[in-house]
Amino acid sequence: MTLSLIIFLPLLGALLPPLFIRLGRTACAWSAALLAGTALAILLYHSPAVFAGETLVFTQPWLPALGLNFSLRLDGLGLLFALLILGIGLLIILYARYYLSEHDPMGRFYGMLLLFMAAMLGIVLSENLLLLLVFWELTSLSSFLLIGYWKHRSDARQGARMALAITGGGGLAMLAGILLLGHITGSYELSVVLASAELIQAHALYPVTLALILLGAFTKSAQFPFHFWLPHAMAAPTPVSAYLHSATMVKAGVFLLARLFPALSGTELWFFLVAGTGTATLLLGAYHALFKHDLKGLLAYSTVSHLGLITLLFGIGTPLAAVAGVFHIINHATFKASLFMAAGIIDHETGTRDMRRLGGLWRFMPHTATLAMVAAASMAGVPLFNGFLSKEMFFAETLHAGWMGEWSWLLPLLATLAALFSVAYSVRFIHDVFFGTGPRDITRKPHEPPRYMKVPVEVLVALCLLVGILPAWTVAPLLAAAAASTVGAELPYYSLAIWHGFNLPLLMSLIALAGGVILYLLRFRLFALHDRIFPLCDAKAWFECGLARTIAVSHQLTAWLENGSLQRYAMLLVASVLIVIGTSLWGTTLTGPVAMGTVDGVTLTGALVLGVSALATVIWHRRRLAALVLLSVVGLVVSVAFVRFSAPDLALTQLSVEMVTILLLMLALYFLPQHSPAESSTARRWRDGLLAAGAGLSVAALAWGVLTRPLETISGYFLEQSKPGGGGSNVVNVILVDFRGFDTLGEITVLAIAAFGIYALLQGLRLPSPTTDGEGRPWAEDRHPLILSAVSRPLLPLALMVSLYILLRGHNLPGGGFIAGLVTAVALILQYVASGVVWTRERLPFDYIKLTASGVLVATLTGVASWWFAHPFLTSTFEYVQLPLLGKFELASAMVFDVGVYLTVVGSTLLILANLGKLTLVSQPHEETK
Amino acid sequence: MPLETAEYLLALPEIWVLGMACLILVLDLFIRDDSRILTYLMVQATLVVAALITLAVQVPEPVLAFGNTFISDGMATLLKLFIYLVTGMGFLYARPYLQDRGLFKGEFYVLGLFAMLGMMIMVSASHFLTIYLGLELLSLCLYAMVAFNRDSGTCSEAAMKYFVLGALASGMLLYGISMLYGATGSLEIAAVASAIGAEEGSSIVLIFALCFIVVGLAFKLGAVPFHMWVPDVYHGAPTPVTLFIGSAPKIAAFAIVMRVLVDGLGGLVADWQGMLVILAVLSLAVGNVIAIAQTNLKRMLAYSTISHVGFLLLGVLAGTPDGYAAAMFYTITYALMAVGAFGMIILLSRAGFEADELEDFRGLNARNPWFAFMMLILMFSMAGVPPTVGFYAKLSVLQAVIQVDMVWLALVAVFFSVIGAFYYIRLVKIMYFDSPTDEAALQSNPGLRAVLSVNGLAVLGLGLFPGGLMALCSAALL
Repeated sequence: MTLSLIIFLPLLGALLPPLFIRLGRTACAWSAALLAGTALAILLYHSPAVFAGETLVFTQPWLPALGLNFSLRLDGLGLLFALLILGIGLLIILYARYYLSEHDPMGRFYGMLLLFMAAMLGIVLSENLLLLLVFWELTSLSSFLLIGYWKHRSDARQGARMALAITGGGGLAMLAGILLLGHITGSYELSVVLASAELIQAHALYPVTLALILLGAFTKSAQFPFHFWLPHAMAAPTPVSAYLHSATMVKAGVFLLARLFPALSGTELWFFLVAGTGTATLLLGAYHALFKHDLKGLLAYSTVSHLGLITLLFGIGTPLAAVAGVFHIINHATFKASLFMAAGIIDHETGTRDMRRLGGLWRFMPHTATLAMVAAASMAGVPLFNGFLSKEMFFAETLHAGWMGEWSWLLPLLATLAALFSVAYSVRFIHDVFFGTGPRDITRKPHEPPRYMKVPVEVLVALCLLVGILPAWTVAPLLAAAAASTVGAELPYYSLAIWHGFNLPLLMSLIALAGGVILYLLRFRLFALHDRIFPLCDAKAWFECGLARTIAVSHQLTAWLENGSLQRYAMLLVASVLIVIGTSLWGTTLTGPVAMGTVDGVTLTGALVLGVSALATVIWHRRRLAALVLLSVVGLVVSVAFVRFSAPDLALTQLSVEMVTILLLMLALYFLPQHSPAESSTARRWRDGLLAAGAGLSVAALAWGVLTRPLETISGYFLEQSKPGGGGSNVVNVILVDFRGFDTLGEITVLAIAAFGIYALLQGLRLPSPTTDGEGRPWAEDRHPLILSAVSRPLLPLALMVSLYILLRGHNLPGGGFIAGLVTAVALILQYVASGVVWTRERLPFDYIKLTASGVLVATLTGVASWWFAHPFLTSTFEYVQLPLLGKFELASAMVFDVGVYLTVVGSTLLILANLGKLTLVSQPHEETK
Repeated sequence: MPLETAEYLLALPEIWVLGMACLILVLDLFIRDDSRILTYLMVQATLVVAALITLAVQVPEPVLAFGNTFISDGMATLLKLFIYLVTGMGFLYARPYLQDRGLFKGEFYVLGLFAMLGMMIMVSASHFLTIYLGLELLSLCLYAMVAFNRDSGTCSEAAMKYFVLGALASGMLLYGISMLYGATGSLEIAAVASAIGAEEGSSIVLIFALCFIVVGLAFKLGAVPFHMWVPDVYHGAPTPVTLFIGSAPKIAAFAIVMRVLVDGLGGLVADWQGMLVILAVLSLAVGNVIAIAQTNLKRMLAYSTISHVGFLLLGVLAGTPDGYAAAMFYTITYALMAVGAFGMIILLSRAGFEADELEDFRGLNARNPWFAFMMLILMFSMAGVPPTVGFYAKLSVLQAVIQVDMVWLALVAVFFSVIGAFYYIRLVKIMYFDSPTDEAALQSNPGLRAVLSVNGLAVLGLGLFPGGLMALCSAALL
């Protein structure tokens, strides 16, 4: 339980400093320091058990469904890192108290620092891998806030965003890796994962898992090729860089390598991936560090290089290499944090970090200079300083790396080369700043910083020396505990002595020291050379170039997919549907077992006429009148086809609907041009033609597939039920008015609404009557030819009689309300056409709106009436009555319903057509809307 | 078939919302413009009471009603509650926006209520026609809402595109449903499922039906390649409408995906799994890649929605209870995030200034650190960075996918999430590192500010304690 306090104290305590700032800056710093100090005390309280070889575990279920538990683990490795985080954290708190100026919001700074500290502690103390990941990303978030704190620094922007993009992306990759690891081992608990090395490494997913986890580690620890974010993140204030970018956050990556070392290491793949990346980073970082003129830039690249060194050590994969790696983590944290703080002091006191302007500062701040020199010597690997010890171990390990075969000489050579550069930039750091000529163009006179600003540096430098001179008495137990839990097995023998006799590693050290000094002396020539080749290998430029490419691709994709054109969208939609259908039908057998029937000549002719006229309609669709005529041919053939397949009702309906629609179109065409202009390009027409053909073919395929399979039709049921259930022998009509009466009621309602809508739209619209047609030919003067009106008048009663007949017989023989309504409507429209609106209105003073509404009302009331008799809506009944003259006659309630249908159809059709017909000014000499 | 009182009781939430929507529609005619707030209050009260009724009439076991067309079960209850919540938040965010622009009319809220009714019907449907009815009720209201600002050309254009494409997609869905009826002889989901289960292999009609149904659903979800309407509509519609479209309907769409594909067409899982894989991968790829190039925040969020739909589909196509629960969790949390993100746009906007460009968020941290932090949480959550809830949503979906050995799919999802993280972070960078160009005060409506803060904190809070919601999601699917 107290284990979780180590994390929760800084996490929840992050809220305190912003409150304590009201009590003054010192109180604010104290509140932060107290929290970190208490956490450190708790850690130390637990440390004896860890030194004794125990692993403390604390588990609290959090989200067991996902395998995510709040479980912590304190072992040697965790203890080491937690000590670094809390110890250096305390020093940073002290340092920042004097570094921050009066107008910096200190409370927020300390709050975020504590939050970051908690996240880091979470990483190193997690037992659960998912929990580790949560804290991992939390460091990204809190570090972003910390860097964003100095928002007035414009160069911080790009850097912070790049850092977050790269580490955040790496974190997501790591998430996938951890999920795979959990998939392989069945648990996310480290104790399980670490014990399943064989299972993991034998699994087929091992390479992917390893690559993903390494992506996370490498991005966080700024390994090649992701190293470039770190130097660009240096725009952050010095306490932040010292803490995040030297001692803690960037160490998270190598911590993960150490943490998962027992589970993942020891394979050839591990060696080549990890050691290869480490070597590349080591060299690249060391090289670039020498050529940075900015103090912090130099330190940043040197950090990159040292992280590469540690990575390389873990990559070698032997237990001894791991010990060396852990040891170097400790040493690097101490000397690099002190160097960053020293750089911060120099920046603070002189106002610049450019080494070309600095120089000769020894005269002004000898104390700081001494401290920096010790730390730099440690960085260079000079004997008697801690850096020397781990570097010696490193050299020794490069000599023993396996896997390389006959290339095994390469690794020591590269290591020496990197060390040589490391010496050179360390010398540069000291000589260019504290000695030589200068400083130049400095606005203020430099002097020693406040007393307490130097204390943290002093503490760390003292550690460098103590560890360097008396390793066995200082660092040995901690190193042993940490290394033991890293390796996960018995530690091999190693010696921390300063003097191992004159051997190859010592020789490599000496070469590096001598070579480094020589390299430094040649620096000006090298700078010139570097400036010429440097632009070629700037990874940041590559990153930005890649980014620009992606954005360009994105723009292209946008232009292609989302150009704002509805036609394009519809095309994509239809094309996608076709592709979906095509791919799902691929490989299925389309033709079913039913054999083909015979085709007689009449049917074939009909089908041909249908096909040809449909095709002709498409081809001549720009000549509107011709297209209309062809379209009516299609309609007529369809109604003939209905007759051919014994569906007289459908045929009658089709015929009358056909007439009404053609009339409607003719009325509209009167006002419109005779030809449609060609608006789309030929290519586009082909494209749309192909799409249409595809859609047609797929429907045809469906029809083919269905028709060639045995099919159980539902007609048998209706044939049986029609007479006893609905009281009619015309099954179609019984279905319409009885079985599916509700459906019909809906349809006539829709028809009525459509008619009212058209009426409302046309209300008040008056168009000038065209005097000529599209080709310029004048329309006939005689608007109402005598012969037509003479013939139409006697036709009216006949047509009405026929429609009444069709209505009444509908229940048993072909006919019904719908057809009858259309026949009546056509007959009445004929009167309008033949004798004009005014003449007809005088003689037919019906209100079509009321007619339509009454139709719907009658139909609805028929339905409601059945409630009266405690039956569901629209239940029909029928009775036989004996009428004089006509004999036995059947009366069905459904017939009343049919009358409703009839009235609605007549009303709606006339409402639409009559209103379309009187659009012109000519047909309304005097406003007769009343 | 006579209907029992108990059946009406099950549908009481729907009946209540319908009744209130009609009542408010009429009452609103008699309310003067300066007391329009009454309409608003009635609408919010309707939602609260609907939530109480839903809780009161929930049933321990799934119960069918109205001739097996309506179902009341755990999923329906849970999703309805979140639909109320998200809709209520949407209405709340909408008020200051509409007031500033003289659009504060009763129609907006009544249309919203009817749309919500459509969603409730979708969630509770156990019959293909019920699903279709709910869907159309929702869609028709949304078409009208997109065109709500009648004087704006972009609004009308967006509504027109939405309507034309939406009608096309609805037609396809209906076509598919009719073929399904032809193949199975029923439209009840349970009956369809048993008819498919009884059949040997899948007939050609069933495959056709499945294709069209998947196309229809994909369109409503906004999955690539049926996503074309999403960016234009999100961009063109007034921000409160975008907020509404982008949040609650996703929950309802998830529900019908579950009802149709899992409950109804579960027997064809081998067929639809492949289709969903393609839809998911395309959505992740296109959504994330195109989002990078956007300079308009509403458009960027539209593409982000598309990519999130890809994730949601991943959960569904895993085909396991864990996967379904993960997808449900994802949907609910996404709706919460989307509401918050669009709410932020409303917070920054004012009459004559929409604040929907990325540039408009410049230096928000300097203007108002608290809301910059809220937006940061929302963006991180969308990117899937812990400890926000978005992380657990992604985590559970990825786990479900890996569990069924579709590792490559998980890798693809992670790859595109990395790309996705980039554009969310870009917005955060703009807020935190760029200097503000616009110094005007933010929306000062206290309710908006309070709920937006709660919204942001909820995304964080659910990230710290996701167990409860996740357990609810798993329990709802039992």
